[in-house]
Amino acid sequence: MTQDLSFWTLQTLNALQLSMLLFLLSIGLTVIFGLMHFVNLAHGALYALGAYIAATLAGTAGFWAAILLAPLGVALVGVVLYGGLIRRMRKSGPMAQVLVTFGLIFALLDLTRILWGDLALAMSMPAVLSGQVDLLGVSYPAYRLFIIVLGAAIFAALALVLARTQIGAMIRAGVDNDAMAACLGINVERLFFVVFCVGCALAGLAGAVAAPLLSVTPGMGLQILIPTLIVIVIGGLGSLKGAIAGSLIYGFVQTFGAVLAPQLASVLIYALLAAVLVIKPVGLFPAKG
Amino acid sequence: MFRHTPLRHAVLAILALAALMQAFTAGYFGLEILIEILILCMLVLALDLVAGFGGMVSLCHGALMGVGAYAFAALATLAGLDPWLAALAAVALTAAVAWVIGAICARSHGIYFIMATLAFGQMAYSYVFESPLFGGDDGMGGIDRFDLTAIGIDLNDSRTFALFCLAVLGAVYLFATAILRSGLGRSLTGVMHNEKRMKALGLNTWRIKADVFGLSGIIAGIAGVLAAQHIMFISPGLLNWTVSGEALVVVILGGLGTLVGPLVGAVAFVVMKHQLGEVTTYWHLVVGIVLIAVVMSRANGIFGWAEARWGARLDRRLADATRSPTPEEVTSDA
Repeated sequence: MTQDLSFWTLQTLNALQLSMLLFLLSIGLTVIFGLMHFVNLAHGALYALGAYIAATLAGTAGFWAAILLAPLGVALVGVVLYGGLIRRMRKSGPMAQVLVTFGLIFALLDLTRILWGDLALAMSMPAVLSGQVDLLGVSYPAYRLFIIVLGAAIFAALALVLARTQIGAMIRAGVDNDAMAACLGINVERLFFVVFCVGCALAGLAGAVAAPLLSVTPGMGLQILIPTLIVIVIGGLGSLKGAIAGSLIYGFVQTFGAVLAPQLASVLIYALLAAVLVIKPVGLFPAKG
Repeated sequence: MFRHTPLRHAVLAILALAALMQAFTAGYFGLEILIEILILCMLVLALDLVAGFGGMVSLCHGALMGVGAYAFAALATLAGLDPWLAALAAVALTAAVAWVIGAICARSHGIYFIMATLAFGQMAYSYVFESPLFGGDDGMGGIDRFDLTAIGIDLNDSRTFALFCLAVLGAVYLFATAILRSGLGRSLTGVMHNEKRMKALGLNTWRIKADVFGLSGIIAGIAGVLAAQHIMFISPGLLNWTVSGEALVVVILGGLGTLVGPLVGAVAFVVMKHQLGEVTTYWHLVVGIVLIAVVMSRANGIFGWAEARWGARLDRRLADATRSPTPEEVTSDA
């Protein structure tokens, strides 16, 4: 089986699909951390929220409207969180921030249970994407290809914005040295706010595109949180390069581990994380050297 | 350095009395809750030791407890070892695992330390979850409690087991205070406040951190052995990171770095969980909001708040009343 080329193609596509989903989640989390030194553990809960909003809207407004509106809805929740909690926590230590967002996980988990109940929701794919596509000799679900393309497109867009535009330069300056950036006349606080909202929207988008693949349950935010944290810690906090590298490493190790060494698969990724932290305690591509 | 203020003595005495009263008067369900509180108390003492006095916020203490529980269960039921010997070996193994984790993670700080401990904890969790030897996700059953019938004590009785746990908790508390009062404990607090300066003073800081982490693992291992004996059944869920997360919440709710505070937090958390659990299934929401409120109030948990408010006044009044000639006399008994 493992000699067959189509096997490798198929697993590579699977790995890419998982990587892209994790990338959508981790990029928001890592840039928020890089800019604000703020670890938002509730990021996974926002992902679950995005999935719920999308699953609810898909029934009435259709798939494409759901995928567009869910990130906006999650970004709105992000605005409320920013104004109510996060702005006030800016000056406190990382410990307090971790705990407040841990409390938020609890609260958001039960809020989704109250609003949508304990039962899993399902979301159907649009007809265009529900078929199979022949690619490099394998037949692959079109929806999974769509996730890969979407993730790659968003990566390209973010890379372009960060490298080539003025706001990208401001964000890079803020990550590098926020006090100096503020001295140069950049409104760092507003920059934080924008980045935080975009990060939340991307988490919501990840939830929305994941909803048709997985069943939408209250616990899905907690399930994805640990992989996302592993991605950003392996990649190094604060950088786009770290987020994409971490996502790809996680996706490939997890997918190929599961098919080649099923006994070791789940331990493998944690061992990798431990190894990275021992050898390079700040991750592979940290934003600050 | 850790000191017993009069307020801490008073709260400890009240907690001990309340636990004794509960142990002698409560029915079956009340005793189960009491044992749950006592075991959680041990876990949060272990966590407070490293997080509150060493600045090492660990998300693997739940997993360490699980290692203790699984090692005990495997040695006692699979290998057929004497329960006391199995417990001893399980605690020693947990301490060794904790020491190694502490030694590896000692170089990282802040969020990286948290993530590194999380990685090790989840590694243990995934291993146990997948391992057919330990029953995988079905867990392991048929675990026996210690046999003390030789001296007329039957631990299969809930009341007796609760009293036994209380006694162990007392010993664990004395052990924790002894660590903090030793040279090692004082060095640890120094490392937390300024690691560079301690290094400049010639101390081997990673050894200090690893040693205390190992000692904290002993306590977590004891908690694990008792947890396995309490339910007489263990499942991988015991090792999951959410257990460590909840333990951290308890420490923060009670008061980080006070030892007494986390005990108060454990009582508050378990009672809140069960009381709210009867009223609503959404008790996580309330816990989450309480946690956010406590952290945002900038007080150091329930006990830390009480200490800041009444501690100094009580100290002064007691000092006046007893006219103690030296402050050491007030603070030095265990």
